[in-house]
Amino acid sequence: MLQFKLVLLGDSSVGKSSIVHRFVKDTFDELRESTIGAAFLSQTIKVESEDQQEVVIKFEIWDTAGQERYKSLAPMYYRNANAALVVYDVTQEDSLNKAKAWVEELKNKVGDEDLVIFLVGNKVDLCEGSDNEDKRAVAATLAKQYAEDQGLMFDEVSAKTGHGVKEVFQAIGQRLYDTKKEELATRQRGNGNDGQVDINVPRPSTNDTTGCCS
Amino acid sequence: MKSWKISGSPHKGQAAGGATGGIAARSSSADGNFDAMSKQQAAAISGPRKQHSALQGYSPLRYMPPSRSASNDSNALLKQSRRSSHSNNRPTGGANAGHSASTTSFTTDGSGKYFQDLDEDWSAVIDDYNMPIPVYLNGGSAGTADSLSRASTHSYPQLPNLTGTGSGSRGTPGPAVVPETRTPTEIAQERDVQELNSMMARITKFNALLSSKHILNVKELRQLSWNGIPKPNRPKVWKLLIGYLPANTKRHESFLQRKRKEYRDGITHTFDEQNHQRDIPTWHQIEIDLPRTNPSIPLYQFKSVQHSLQKILYLWAIRHPASGYVQGINDLVTPFYQIFLTEYLPASQIDEVANRDPAMYMSEEQTVQLEADTFWCLTKLLEQITDNYIHGQPGILKQVKNLSQLVKRIDADLYDHFTNEHVEFIQFAFRWMNCLLMREFEMDVVIRMWDTYLAETSQDSSVGGATTGASAGADLSAPTTPAQRTVSTFQTPPSKIRTEATVGASPSSPLSVRSFSATTAVTKTTASGAGSDDASGTRQSSSLNEFHVFVCAAFLIKWSDQLCGMDFQEIITFLQNPPTKDWRESDIEMLLSEAYIWQSLYKDATSHWL
Ligand SMILES: Nc1nc2c(ncn2[C@@H]2O[C@H](COP(=O)(O)OP(=O)(O)OP(=O)(O)O)[C@@H](O)[C@H]2O)c(=O)[nH]1
Ligand SMILES: [Mg+2]
Repeated sequence: MLQFKLVLLGDSSVGKSSIVHRFVKDTFDELRESTIGAAFLSQTIKVESEDQQEVVIKFEIWDTAGQERYKSLAPMYYRNANAALVVYDVTQEDSLNKAKAWVEELKNKVGDEDLVIFLVGNKVDLCEGSDNEDKRAVAATLAKQYAEDQGLMFDEVSAKTGHGVKEVFQAIGQRLYDTKKEELATRQRGNGNDGQVDINVPRPSTNDTTGCCS
Repeated sequence: MKSWKISGSPHKGQAAGGATGGIAARSSSADGNFDAMSKQQAAAISGPRKQHSALQGYSPLRYMPPSRSASNDSNALLKQSRRSSHSNNRPTGGANAGHSASTTSFTTDGSGKYFQDLDEDWSAVIDDYNMPIPVYLNGGSAGTADSLSRASTHSYPQLPNLTGTGSGSRGTPGPAVVPETRTPTEIAQERDVQELNSMMARITKFNALLSSKHILNVKELRQLSWNGIPKPNRPKVWKLLIGYLPANTKRHESFLQRKRKEYRDGITHTFDEQNHQRDIPTWHQIEIDLPRTNPSIPLYQFKSVQHSLQKILYLWAIRHPASGYVQGINDLVTPFYQIFLTEYLPASQIDEVANRDPAMYMSEEQTVQLEADTFWCLTKLLEQITDNYIHGQPGILKQVKNLSQLVKRIDADLYDHFTNEHVEFIQFAFRWMNCLLMREFEMDVVIRMWDTYLAETSQDSSVGGATTGASAGADLSAPTTPAQRTVSTFQTPPSKIRTEATVGASPSSPLSVRSFSATTAVTKTTASGAGSDDASGTRQSSSLNEFHVFVCAAFLIKWSDQLCGMDFQEIITFLQNPPTKDWRESDIEMLLSEAYIWQSLYKDATSHWL
C-alpha cells in the first residue's frame, strides 16, 4: 500500500469539505458546519501499475478552513503534501482568484517538484441545464487555460451530485503513482512480492511518521 | 433534563440508561463496578454532599493525603482517579479486585509511573502542604446521589467528604456500609423528593438574590451560578455575569433602554447606504456561515433568526476591525441569542425555543431588544478573548501550547503517546479553543457549560476594552495576571485535616484513613475579598481563557485510556468527533469540576502562561 498526503485549499464555502465527504463517505450534506482549523480524513483507492497489477493507494487528507483568518495555518498542512486540491466555486468569480493565490503560494513555498496540484471547479450542478447557465461565473475554458499555463491538472465537479469527484482522486492517485514508480521499483525488488505493492512512499506521510501504514 | 440541576446523580444516570451504574451505586457498597464508581464520582465531584451520607458511613471517596511530594502525589491520585473513573463500563472481578487495583496502582505507580516532574518551571505546587489532596478512589457507594440537596450555599465544586474506612489494604470492600434497610424504590423516591427540594431551594436562592432592591450581590451570584443556573433565571443572570447588566438594579431599566437605543442607532447607521459602505467580503462570509451554524437545530434555519444574527455579527465585525468576523464567532453568538429568546416565551414553552420561529411570537420592538442584548453580551464575551480572533490568532496558539504543556504534566503517558504518533495538539485543539468547545457538545450541554464559563468571566472590562481597541499583533494579554486560585477553606477543622495528612504520610499505613464527617469543600477564593456588588478586579481577564484550557485538558484526558491505544489516524479521527452525543448536564458538570480541581492544583503553572 502506498500512502500519500493530500491537502485541500480554497476559499471558504467553495465546497472543500463537501468534496472530501463525497469522496470518503459518498454522502452530501446541504448544511455542513464551516471547517475550523483543519479536518482529517482518509480513503483508499486502487490504481493500476504498468504490469496490470492493482496498487492500493491510501490518501491521508487534510481539509483546511477556507476563511482568510486561518490562512496562516495552511503551511502546516501543505508542507509535506504530495498533492493539493485547490478548489473554487464555479458560481463565484472571486473564488477562482483565491484559488490562483493558493497555487502561487504552493509553487513558492512547497519545494517538492513532484507536488501534484489539481485545480477543481466545484458546484457545476448549479449551472446545469439551459435555465441555469447564467449562474456560472467562471467559464470552464478560462480555468482550463489557466491550469494548462500553470501545469496543473484540472476538472469541474459537483460534490452534491458526485459528478467527477472520484475521478479527480483517481487521477491524482495515478499521477502520484506514475511519478513515484521509479523510486518504488527500486524498493519493490527488495520485497518478496505477492502481487501487492506494500511499501511506504519516500515522502513522509501526514504526520511525518515513517511507520507502516497497515 | 432540568437545566438547573447541579450535579449528576446515579438515579438520573439510571433513567438515562446507565442502569448498572445507578443501581450499583445506590444499593451496594463497593461492587467494584467501574461504571458505578464513575457515576459515583461524578456525583461526588460535582455536587455538594449531603451530610447524612457521611453519617451513614458511606465513603464515596477515599482520601489519600499527600505524602513526601504533595504535588506529585496529588497529581498521581487525580490521574489515578481519572483512570479508574473512565474505564468505561469495564466489568471487574468484584469489589476486591476493583479496589485493590486502584490501591495498588496508587501506591506503586503513584510517584513512579505517572510522575516525572523534571521540569522545575512547571511544578504543581500546593500552597499548603497540610492541605489534603482529595482523591477519588473506588467511588464506592450510595450517598452521593443526594449530592444535590446541599446545593444552596456552596457554589464552586465541592469535594466530597473525605471519608474513609481504612479497609482498603485489608482487602475488605472499601467503604464500609451501614446495612441499608430501605428498598431501592424508597431510596429513589426519597432522592426525588430531595432533588425537588433542592431545586426549589436553588430557585428560591436565585430569586432572592435577583430580587434585591438595590445592589445585587454579583459575587455570590457568580459562585452560585458556577454550579448551574435555573432556566427561568438564566437570561438575566447571564447578562449580569458577563457584565452587561449593572449590579445596581435601580439602573437596569434605564440602562437597558440606553443600550438598546445604542444598538438600534448602530444598526440604522450601519445599514444606511449613504453613511456606510458595506464591507462586502465580511457581509458575504457571515451570510454563507449562518445557514451552516448549528445546522441540526431548527431555530437557526428560520430566516428571521438568520437575519437577526447577520445584523449582530456584521455590526460587531465592523466595530472591531482588528478582529473582524472570524468563523466560530457565529457559533459563540448562538447561546446568548437562544437563551435571551426564552425571555419572550411563556415559561411553559421555554423548552420549545429551539423549534419555534421567533417571528411568530416576537414583535419588531422585541426583536430589536433581543438583538441588542445579544449583541452587547457577545461583545462582552469577545472582549475577554479578543486575542483569539485577531490576525494570527495568538490567543488560540497560546492556549493550544498551554494545553499541551498541561497535558505533559498531568498525563505524561498520553503526551508521550501523542509525540510518538506525531499528533500535534493544534491538529485537534485549535477548534476547541476557537469555538470554546461548542462544536464538541450539543447545545443543552453547551448552555450548562456557559453557566460556569460566564461565572468565570471577568467583569473588569477595562482590560478587555483596551484589548479590543489595540492593534493586531500586540501581546494584548500581557498586563493581566492569572487568576488567583487556591484550594482552600476546607470546612473541616484544619487540625483534623492535618491529622489525616500525617497518618497518610506514613508509608506504613498509606491507606489507613480515618473517617470524619464534616462537609468538605473546595471553595474557590479570589484575589480580593470583594465588595458584594462589584466583582471588578477580583478576577482577571485571563481567567476564562485559562479555565477553558483546564477544561480542554480534562476533556482530553478523559479519553486517555482509549487514545493511548490508538494510532495517529485513529486519534485524530476520534478527537474530531468525540463520543459526546449522549452527554448530559451531569457529564459536563463533572468535566468542569475536574477542570476546576486541576486548575487549583496547577495554579502555579499558569503563571508561566501568557
Ligand atoms: N449545489 C452545490 N452546493 C454545494 C456543493 N458543494 C458544496 N456545496 C454547498 O456549499 C456550502 C459550503 O460547503 P463546504 O463543503 O462546507 O465548503 P468548504 O469549502 O469546506 O468551506 P469552509 O469549511 O468554510 O472552508 C454547503 O452549504 C454545501 O452544501 C456542490 O457541489 N453543489
Ligand atoms: Mg470545510
